[in-house]
Amino acid sequence: MPNAKGLEKIIIVDDEWESPIVTAVRRRLDEEGWHTLVIVPEAGGSIGDEFEASALYAIEEELPVGVLLDIRLGEYREDQFKGLEILQKIVEQHPKLPVLMFTQYAQGPDRERAVRGSLKWDAPVDFIDKLASPDEVVLRLRRLIGRTPEIIPIGGDLYLDANAKAVYVKRGEDSVIVDDIHGMKFEIIRELAATWYRSPGELVPFSRLERYSEGEEARASLRVRIREIKVSLGRALGVAFGAGDLIINVRDQGYRLVPPKT
Amino acid sequence: MLWWLRIFAGLVLVGGVVGLALAPFIGKSLFVELWGVEPLSYLGGLLVVAALGGTTLTYYLPRLLGRDKAEVDTDQQTAEKWGQLTQQYFELFNHDLGRPLRRILGKERELRLLLQSSESELYPEVKGLLDEIESQTPSFRLMMSNIQVMVQLEAPNLPIKIQPVEPTELIRRIVDRYSLLASEAHKEITWWSEPTEFGLIYCDGSAIEHIVTNLVDNTVRFATEHVEIKLTKNLTDFFVRVWDDGPGIPPHYAQHIFDRGWTPEVARSEEKTSSGLGLFIAHTLAKKYGGDLTLESISAPEPDHHTTFLLSLPLNGNATALESS
Ligand SMILES: Nc1ncnc2c1ncn2[C@@H]1O[C@H](COP(=O)(O)OP(=O)(O)OP(=O)(O)O)[C@@H](O)[C@H]1O
Ligand SMILES: [Mg+2]
Repeated sequence: MPNAKGLEKIIIVDDEWESPIVTAVRRRLDEEGWHTLVIVPEAGGSIGDEFEASALYAIEEELPVGVLLDIRLGEYREDQFKGLEILQKIVEQHPKLPVLMFTQYAQGPDRERAVRGSLKWDAPVDFIDKLASPDEVVLRLRRLIGRTPEIIPIGGDLYLDANAKAVYVKRGEDSVIVDDIHGMKFEIIRELAATWYRSPGELVPFSRLERYSEGEEARASLRVRIREIKVSLGRALGVAFGAGDLIINVRDQGYRLVPPKT
Repeated sequence: MLWWLRIFAGLVLVGGVVGLALAPFIGKSLFVELWGVEPLSYLGGLLVVAALGGTTLTYYLPRLLGRDKAEVDTDQQTAEKWGQLTQQYFELFNHDLGRPLRRILGKERELRLLLQSSESELYPEVKGLLDEIESQTPSFRLMMSNIQVMVQLEAPNLPIKIQPVEPTELIRRIVDRYSLLASEAHKEITWWSEPTEFGLIYCDGSAIEHIVTNLVDNTVRFATEHVEIKLTKNLTDFFVRVWDDGPGIPPHYAQHIFDRGWTPEVARSEEKTSSGLGLFIAHTLAKKYGGDLTLESISAPEPDHHTTFLLSLPLNGNATALESS
């Protein structure tokens, strides 16, 4: 599978950058196709100030697509909220740069609200607590950064390429195009995959899918197309997808992608 | 105002003293023929007493009134101090208590990766154990915030914080947190909103998040395969319906479901395996914000067994919250 993100960089500013919890997040981001850079403060001077200088410099130099920034940088009292100071500077200098703040859980919504209140309402800044799983961090970053990549994985063995307007199945080192997924059927699977990518549990309502089907009986023809997609992808993987697999339906509401487990 | 009263009382006092002074000379000659008594000295005495009394009152009254006001002030200060103090403790708790947990989790995730990449045949076996450790994190996060909310609910004059909230993003975040965990256990969480473009509501976002997180946390444990979350609204209220296809809750349990600390083990006099606080807190919060939390369930062995919790809250939290406080 081609790299989903090209050379998009994410900068990580965290005093516990070597801790397993940050390492796990970092590894997950790398797996996601982002190129992660960790800010390491130079010795001497106050840790907080070092972080600030290095982080702002790195943003200028590396032009990242997003920043992961810890609120608490160091054990000293004055550095307890250093991350917020850095945030203010980033927002001033790069108002469009998405920043995800790492908070301690019980620091609570009050402080978050206070910070939010001091930012513009549309500033791309979000908060997540440090106990969040790496997957949660990835999902939040995907939404914060907002772009849907050209390549979206559908489970371990399939991926969708929006440029080529096709779905591929991995065969060892190579990828083979899946027959029969084009035109409206490709649009349907693309719509489902794009929603899944940003928000895995979210249903795609009929209203958004029915434009990819025609005739009087839009919903019925949609159902037929979905069934055909399931058959094609199932054949490519050598499995038969049942009603509860791959694309599930909620009566009278819509459909949702459930990528096959590998 | 007070000064005018005091000047007036001073004039009355002077009048009273003058009356008393003149009484021996003119009192008798003027009035004795009329009533057969000498009234001027009584009158003078009365005026003096009234004037002194009035003046005293002008000094004490404000102090009496002022005491009430001051008491209200200290109440509010106490509430604020209480809030700050508990917040400080939670931060301490979280940073220091969370540290070992972060380490444990970090190591667990490292171990997982190691085993995974070494393609060890142990992995499938060990994975279950690792998943179990991992699944303790949402529980820990929920427990922390449950305790925090409990303490806040006890606080005197708890302020209600209303802000614009995007309910879809709120649900999305809860699903982010639980969907991986659910899918590891071969369960699927699906959610949607009607209308699709739901818009903003005015409420305490963290309260809603807290309520729904508790509901979803339960469904992920009890669902057989599917959890559904649906967000709807009418002109006055919005609703979050959390449904699961699990064993359901029998009627004789349903009546206790919102009780503090209740779990089925309590009913069976067994040892509790969970704290039984989630639904109590969720219900208390819903009521506090002028809404409600209700249960509808059909329990196994009925074929269509399921559990539905319905949260309803006023769309414009502001008005209701102010009315009820
Ligand atoms: N969706 C559900 N399906 C079946 N039983 C449920 C469901 N939700 C709650 N219950 C039952 O209600 C009990 C009380 O739930 P509650 O959320 O208040 O506490 P808990 O989950 O036991 O502990 P806590 O939430 O404090 O960690 C649970 O122990 C469980 O037996
Ligand atoms: Mg619970």
